Parts: sequence; C-alpha cells; structure tokens
Amino acid sequence: MNLTEVIEGKEYIIDKIDTEDDELDAFLFSLGCYSGEPITVVSRKKKMCTVSIKDGRYSIDSRLAAAITVTE
Amino acid sequence: MRIALAGNPNSGKTTMFNALTGSSEKVGNWAGVTVEKKESTVKKLYCKNGETITAVDLPGAYSMSPFTSEESVTRDYIKNETPDVIINIVDATNLSRSLFFTTQLLELGIPMVIALNKADLNKKKDTKIDVALLEKKMGCPVINTVSTSADGFSELITAVIDQIEKDQTPPYTENNVDLSDIEAVKAADRKRFEFVNAVVKEVETRKVYTRERNIHDKIDNVLTNKWVGIPFFALVMFLVFQISQVWVGTPIADLLGELLGLFQEWVGGLLEGANPLLYALLVDGIIGGLIAVMGFLPLVMVMYFLIALLEDCGYMARVAVVLDPIFKKVGLSGKSVIPFVITVGCAVPGVMASRTIKNERERRATAMLAPFMPCGAKIPVISLFAGIFFNNAGWVSTVTYLAGIVLIFLCALLINGITGNSAKKSYFIIEIPEYKKPSFKGAFKSMCGRGWEYIVKAATIILLCNTAVQIMQSFTWSFTVAENANESILATIAGPFAYVLLPVVGILSWQLAAAAITGFIAKENVVGTIAVCYGITKFINMDELVLEGGASDVAAIMGLTQAAALAYLMFNLFSPPCFAAIGAMRAEMKSAKWLWGGIALQLGVGFTVGFAVYQIGTLISAGTLGAGFLPGIIAVAVMAAIITVMCITATKRVKAERAHKKAK
Repeated sequence: MNLTEVIEGKEYIIDKIDTEDDELDAFLFSLGCYSGEPITVVSRKKKMCTVSIKDGRYSIDSRLAAAITVTE
Repeated sequence: MRIALAGNPNSGKTTMFNALTGSSEKVGNWAGVTVEKKESTVKKLYCKNGETITAVDLPGAYSMSPFTSEESVTRDYIKNETPDVIINIVDATNLSRSLFFTTQLLELGIPMVIALNKADLNKKKDTKIDVALLEKKMGCPVINTVSTSADGFSELITAVIDQIEKDQTPPYTENNVDLSDIEAVKAADRKRFEFVNAVVKEVETRKVYTRERNIHDKIDNVLTNKWVGIPFFALVMFLVFQISQVWVGTPIADLLGELLGLFQEWVGGLLEGANPLLYALLVDGIIGGLIAVMGFLPLVMVMYFLIALLEDCGYMARVAVVLDPIFKKVGLSGKSVIPFVITVGCAVPGVMASRTIKNERERRATAMLAPFMPCGAKIPVISLFAGIFFNNAGWVSTVTYLAGIVLIFLCALLINGITGNSAKKSYFIIEIPEYKKPSFKGAFKSMCGRGWEYIVKAATIILLCNTAVQIMQSFTWSFTVAENANESILATIAGPFAYVLLPVVGILSWQLAAAAITGFIAKENVVGTIAVCYGITKFINMDELVLEGGASDVAAIMGLTQAAALAYLMFNLFSPPCFAAIGAMRAEMKSAKWLWGGIALQLGVGFTVGFAVYQIGTLISAGTLGAGFLPGIIAVAVMAAIITVMCITATKRVKAERAHKKAK
C-alpha cells in the first residue's frame, strides 16, 4: 500500500519509492526517506499529508504520497 | 583565517552568522532562506587571541552527494575554497538526519567543530544528547549552542581556533566509490546512514518522538484547514498592509513629512538671495525630490518589520501547504507564495527566494511573476496617486495589491499556454518547522537594516536621478537655460515615449514618460521625477495636501483624469520591475529566452492593464472612449495575436511529443 492508504499515526517501513525523478529520489534519500526506513503519516488531508521521517516533519502532496509504498 | 558555516537547511546558520558578525542577513523559519554565500568578520569579543576571523555563511545542504543541484553552492565552496575550519551546525532536534552530512564533511580532511544548535529546544522536550560520547564518535569537538541567544559562542570560537591545522580522523570513510555510478553511490550512502543511526542510538535519549502528534499539529489542523487556511492568510496579509500603511505607518510618515518640510524651508531660507536657477535646482529639484521619496520611509519600514515577524514564526511553510493545490492548478508551486510575500517588501530577495522551488519551470514562472506584487518601493507611488487624485482613499492601495494577485494567476495560465506545459505535473514537498515565537529584536534589526538601505538608495541613486532630471529639464541641447520646459533635453528624450503612454493616460506628457523611465532605475524615482518635473514638492505631505485643497491644484497641473491617473499607476506597478529585480530574475531563470519573455510579458501586461483601466474608466465616467483608443487596441490585438500563435504552436508541439511517446 502507499502513503495515501495508511493509518494516521502508525509507523510503517518504506518499501519502494517510485517518482521517476532521480533528483527527487536523491533528495528524499538525504532526508532519510528510502526503502527500509520507518515513516509515519502524522495527519492527512485530501490533497496533502504531513509525514514524519527521522526527526523531521514534511508536508507532501498526495501525488508524492502515492509514489511511496510501505509495509507494516 | 576563514571559517565556513555549513549544515542542514533551517538549522540556524544565518542566525548564528548574524550573531557572530553583527550582520543582519535575512533569516526565516523555513528551509532554504539563504540562497547565496555571505561573508563577514567575526566580532572581536569572541576571538580570544585577537585573530581576525572571516565567517562564511553557506546555503543549507542535506548532503554532499552530486545528485542534487540546489546544494551546489555549498558543495563547491567547501571543496574548492577549502576554509581553515568548518563549523558544522547540527540541528540537535534532528540529529539522525543531520549527522549524515556531518560525516560527509568530516571526510574532507578540513578541521571541523560541531555546533550542536537549538540545545534549548531539546531541553524543553527532555531529549538528552551525550556530548562527550558524540565527540568521541565523531572525532571532533562538539559544543552546545543556541543561535537565537548566542549561548555557547565563546566556547565555539575558542574550539575553532584550537582546531586550526589539527588532524582529525574521520569516523566513517567511504572506500573509493565510483561517483558516476548512481547505484554504487546509493549503496554507499545507505551504509553511511546505518553508521549514523547506530551513533544516534547510543548518544541520544528521547522522551518525545517527532512522529507523535503535538500542539503544533493542533494549530496546523486549524491553519491549514480547507476552509480556514486561505481566509486566515488573507486576514494576515490584510493586517500587514493595514498596520503598515494606515494604523501605524501613516501617522509617523505625516510627522516625518512635516520635519522634512521644515528642513526644505530652512535650506530655502539659506539660499534666499541666490541665483533662481540654483534655487530651483537645489531646493525644488534635488531636496524636494529626495523628500518626496523619504517621506514614505515609515510605511516601508513598518512593512519590513511585520514581514520579518511573519517569516520568523514558521507560518510561511504552512501557507505554502495551504496554497499548493491552487497554485498547482496554474502551474506554480505552493512554495511560490514565499517569493510573492517577500516581494511585498522588495522584489530582489523575493525573486531570489524562488530558488527553493525544485521544478525548473515552476521556479522560472515564479521569478517572472513575483514582481507583479507591488514592492515597498512602489508604496510611495501608490500613496502619491491616492493622495493627489483620490482624496487618500484606502481602496486604491487595496485594488493594486488585489490586481497584482489576479495578474499572477492570469499570467501563470498564460505561461502554461505558451510553454505548453499544462499536462506535466510536479511533486511537492516542504519541511514543516515547529512554530516559534518570532524575535522582535531580530525583526527590529531587519527593519533598521532595510530602512537604512532605503535611505542610502534615496541619498545616492534617487538623488542622482533627481539631479539629472532637474538639470535635463532646465537646459536645452545647446546648454542654454530652457525658457519653456518643453524644449528641454528631458522633454526631447522622453517625448517619443510619451506616444506609447498616450493610450494609457490620454495625453502626450513627456513628464509622465520620463517618470516611468526613471522608474526602471528605482521605482521611487517615479515619485521623485514627478515631484521634480511638476514642481509639486511642497504638496508631498498627503494629509496637508488634501486639507489645503492642494491636491486638485496638483491634479490640474498634471492634467490627468482620475481614470488616467489610476491607469498610469497600474502601468508603473505592473510593467517590468527595477533593474536590480530584473538582474535577480536573470540569476534565477538562467535562461535568456525566459528572461526576455518575462520582460516582454511584464511590458505587455503593464500596457494592457493601463490601457484597459483608462479606456473603461473613461467610458464609465465620461461616456466616451479615451484618447489613443485606436492605436492602443491595435497594440493589444497584436500582442494577443502573438500569444495565441505561441499557444497554438506549443499545443501542437505537446501533441506531437505525446504521439511520439506513444509510438515508442
């Protein structure tokens, strides 16, 4: 499942990130957002959700949220 | 010696730099405020051995890896200019992310000291970091600091001086990774993060986890709410304008206006018996023009103060989140709102702020559109016209800002059409900093710094322009005193441009043309030049102007109707910005095609809006069309035709590209 489908406040492990944009992938990596790392959706709205990666908070749009698949 | 400040975005580098050196570089509570490196000398009080230390503030970076372009300034500086010591500012609240960059820096073999910043925030949350252990693990000194209160700075600089030319052993080394092989680099970076994670586990004990909901989330739930978010932002901006331009700014400006008037009278008294030409040049021209501009300083300064507060509290990142869905629809990014808001103060830093937008097309479009927000230098122009022609009505100012917003949206759609980009989509990600109480001291410093810049600008460029304008309108080409200003040098130079303005103002006025042209040097010049050309400097205190009934005199001298005045104002606001802002546009767009396209768009928009306002205004007030309608409508039609052709070509190209992709 991807980040638009997960339960808010629950920690998941990133399975795959598929943005077809190498620079963005590299950027996400430097934030600590890559497969095998934990991620939590803190709150979610229709078009935007706030995630916690390592000890940082980021708002991402639902398009990027959909590109990040996770497992429990 | 030279020390470089490097670290993740929004870790407090510039706040530390300002406190260390006494500078007042722009700070803000979002990632990516600093886009260019800054240099200054560290205050003597921190340098115990009397050495002169130059500090270099670098834009924030998350990593040294060669795959992200925005961090190139920092990467290139550290690698090529080799500073004597690096201060790595680490956000103590986000150790697990920050140390990735730290270990990369340590590998460069440059002596380094870690400033464990925001130590106060950790105390609040009862997060403990074992500094001694971290020092041992990283192999370099670690000092607890708080940038906002300059805590730990003496220890930090002492540690820096101790570290010069010392050998440090990097705690983690990457063995010969082929940097051109993305997969190899990725694998190596994973290992590095593993190392960092292990270190963090040992040195950090946390009670509050970032993934848990906190009070900031509750605030955000309201402020980024679908229904509350935008009205709240509108209210905030309305208050910024209302406070700076009505409640607080205007009373101070009136007071200053009176003082400046007294000064002018005093100089006039000194020169009573002097040559009338010299009197006109000095008292009416140079000083008068200067006063005209200086009188608006309080409005601009209060505005700077409020914007600094807004930038410091952490709200800007939330606004970007709220507006992203709307901005995305017109091909911009939610982050575009930050440049737009900063431009309300000044377009140069405003345009530069577009650099945090990753998508190139969105970034270029933002840099092109930001100048449509009327900047601080345009406040004098707006106030002057509101005073002379509209009895100081508050709606004039409101209309100009709203028009700016509407134009940004319309032109964004236009850019979409011309570049044929409506189908492509981009991702949005922004770091959400915690809210913090804005620093009034910092905002005050920022206000004074920017206010001083305004004064310096008025006393140099604007004074020079006023003098040139005064001389050029006093003499003919044969350097004899012009009996009739219409024969002056200025009149003959600006004359041809007056034809361009005919469809906008309805009269041929070389004075207005000259004011618009000098406005490209600095927008305050529009006021200065009008004041000089029409000799109306005595009326510059707007309240007096209205009281004394002088406004109608001035309006009569200028010979403009209300519609024409509003149109001319709009033309000046929405035509290309000053040269400095155009320079910033060039730097951010990095494309001659986009830059010239942008200037052409701004010229077209300025003319079209001015033309429409004048012609429609005249039709409503006088029942007929204004002068110059035919040439004006032809010009607008030609522009529309060019744009239509460009849009059609772009659509065809996009279709062809899509077909090509499908065929593949």
